Amino acid sequence: MTALSGAASLDSLKETLRHRHDRRGGRAYVLARWAAAGLFVAVLLGLVVSIAIDSSQAIAHSGIGFLWSGTWNPAANQYGAGILVVGTVVTTGVAMVIVVPVGLGMAAFLSELAPRWLAGPLSMAIDLLAAVPSIVVGLWALLVLSPVFANHVEPFFKSIPVLEWLFHGPAYGPSILLASVVLAVMTLPTVVALSRTALSGVALADREAAMALGATHWQVIREVVFPGARSGIAASLTLAVGRALGESIAVAMVIGNNPSVPHSLVAPGATLGSAIVNQFAEASPGIGTSSVIALAAVLLVLTLAVNAGGQAMLRGMGPGRPARVRKTRVAQ
Amino acid sequence: MSRRPAVVVLAVALGALGAAYGASASVAAAATTRPAASAPGGPLGPSHDTKTSASVSLSGAGANSINPFFEKVFYEYHQKNSKTTITYSPAGSSVGISDIEQGTVDFGDSEIPMAAKDLAKTTRAILQVPVDLGGVAISYNLPGVPSGLKLDGPTLAGIFNGTIKNWDSAQIAKVSGDHKLPNLAIVAVHRADSSGPGWDLDDYLIKTAPVWAAKVGTKASKTWPLPKVGIGEQLNSGVATYISQTHGAVGFVEYGYALEAKFTNAALKNKAGAFVGPSLHSIGLAGSQASGLSAKKYSIIDEPGAATYPLANFSWTLLYKKNPDEAKAIAIGKLFDWVVTTGQQYSSSLGYAPLPTDVVALSTSTLAQLQTPQGGPLFSK
Repeated sequence: MTALSGAASLDSLKETLRHRHDRRGGRAYVLARWAAAGLFVAVLLGLVVSIAIDSSQAIAHSGIGFLWSGTWNPAANQYGAGILVVGTVVTTGVAMVIVVPVGLGMAAFLSELAPRWLAGPLSMAIDLLAAVPSIVVGLWALLVLSPVFANHVEPFFKSIPVLEWLFHGPAYGPSILLASVVLAVMTLPTVVALSRTALSGVALADREAAMALGATHWQVIREVVFPGARSGIAASLTLAVGRALGESIAVAMVIGNNPSVPHSLVAPGATLGSAIVNQFAEASPGIGTSSVIALAAVLLVLTLAVNAGGQAMLRGMGPGRPARVRKTRVAQ
Repeated sequence: MSRRPAVVVLAVALGALGAAYGASASVAAAATTRPAASAPGGPLGPSHDTKTSASVSLSGAGANSINPFFEKVFYEYHQKNSKTTITYSPAGSSVGISDIEQGTVDFGDSEIPMAAKDLAKTTRAILQVPVDLGGVAISYNLPGVPSGLKLDGPTLAGIFNGTIKNWDSAQIAKVSGDHKLPNLAIVAVHRADSSGPGWDLDDYLIKTAPVWAAKVGTKASKTWPLPKVGIGEQLNSGVATYISQTHGAVGFVEYGYALEAKFTNAALKNKAGAFVGPSLHSIGLAGSQASGLSAKKYSIIDEPGAATYPLANFSWTLLYKKNPDEAKAIAIGKLFDWVVTTGQQYSSSLGYAPLPTDVVALSTSTLAQLQTPQGGPLFSK
């Protein structure tokens, strides 16, 4: 292509761009854009409104106490979300106790410490783990992990004197602990992948500056890299918590589906998601179905609250830079 | 560019119009070519059941417990009559009922037939046909303890309400006569979803254990009434999986599933005071003891007879009395006429007892009530 024809085609391109809104294709595109955006909002609104309407019968039946009442027993027409909210929060909390140190440790290892020949395949393996469908994780936990937990893991925790009060009671296999481990397995890849990206994004100059001041490798990671990647790490944890709160199928398979107060981590429990999975297909029409939809509403609110909280936290953090300067004792 | 979406929309609209026109035309044609022919389906009965002329595909949904039997008989029927294709979704009895109410399936199936008040509310009349006879096994995983551990209603109620916590408890030893049961914690496992087997056991415990009735009331429930005791698992397969991998577990599963998993099953105290374990014979007796069976009087829990197993039930298929699609209506009638007669030969190997003669008569006479879209009889006598 000659320079002349190149300039000519550039001119024609400029001409096209200048008139792009006058052409019918351009108008159609704008229209399609607005339609798509409108459709998205309409779907979200429709979801919220229909859930609110369908769950109103349950609230009318059980009163506002539905939200904290501790009894969920469809056979006796007693519906209350309280115990299920507790189960949901506890399983998610325990999962995060596992995920935060393991996930962030792995992310730091992959981004800062691992040699390249190891970091590549390892990251790929973690991404693959993220692609495993939850039903597969649940099945594996039910068939493989559950007996191992009943016969080895849970008795082991019980044998540790201080932890005994957290793990007392008979070891059944399906339990809050097993459900939390399943949630941890499912959310770990999200945390590792996103945090690793955030950690790698911290400017090289920041690290070099710290090293020039005599900081050790560990001090650089702790004082420069992690604070610099705070907002990315927080975003990854928010996503993980959201996913853990809503996970249903895999949890229903391993939690034991017992809606009583969880007195121990090895006791069976129930979550909002697992109760929806178990009851929805066969809920009695009317009040039963409405109560299950009300559970969905509670779950929706819980998840939205976590997301909103996470976003607010992110905004408060500002850009991904060390926000505060701490006096660090540097090795002489 | 901008014209393309419009063209697509136009094509879709035209296509829909064409389809609607075609459908109405074919309905009109069918109506004119066969003006109120009496009994277009011809006679029912073993020699005619598999002669369907039109190609139809039928879809059904419902009970999980009958699934092994349905899978087998639908496959065999398709082998003999390749024009009829059947799919069945074993999502649970209540799904079968709600799907047939909403008209999203051609047939439903429920372990517990629909109540009269629900039938009155449906827009289309529904017929209920007993199609198989199954039992519910109380299966346990106790190393060294063979099948036949004797249990009665009150003991079983104690196990499932959490008052009996260990296998070496005095009450179990007294009832079973087995004083060497292991010192092992009992893990009672029930269905987390609602189920026919759950209804059966609930009904048996209500009838035989005052302590149970005092706690849960006298009306049996498909949703397990005491979800806070022990472990809940989804479907027969979930309960069976849990029992097979947990020492000390005890739970209730459809007998066909227990047979397949080679579980050890308890012998339950029946109305005559004898302890009987689940078998094709003892479940069959429960079915044949039932007198005056109908969709209203369906419970065959705790029937009399020294060798009768107390936990048994018929599974009921739900059909539209008048299906607007005549070819489908004929195919459904012939299929289920075959299932309740010739098809019963496949029941035994799967853990279901063949239907007793008087129940087959009830099924075939119910199927004979199927009607054409015009309201005439679908099948001749």
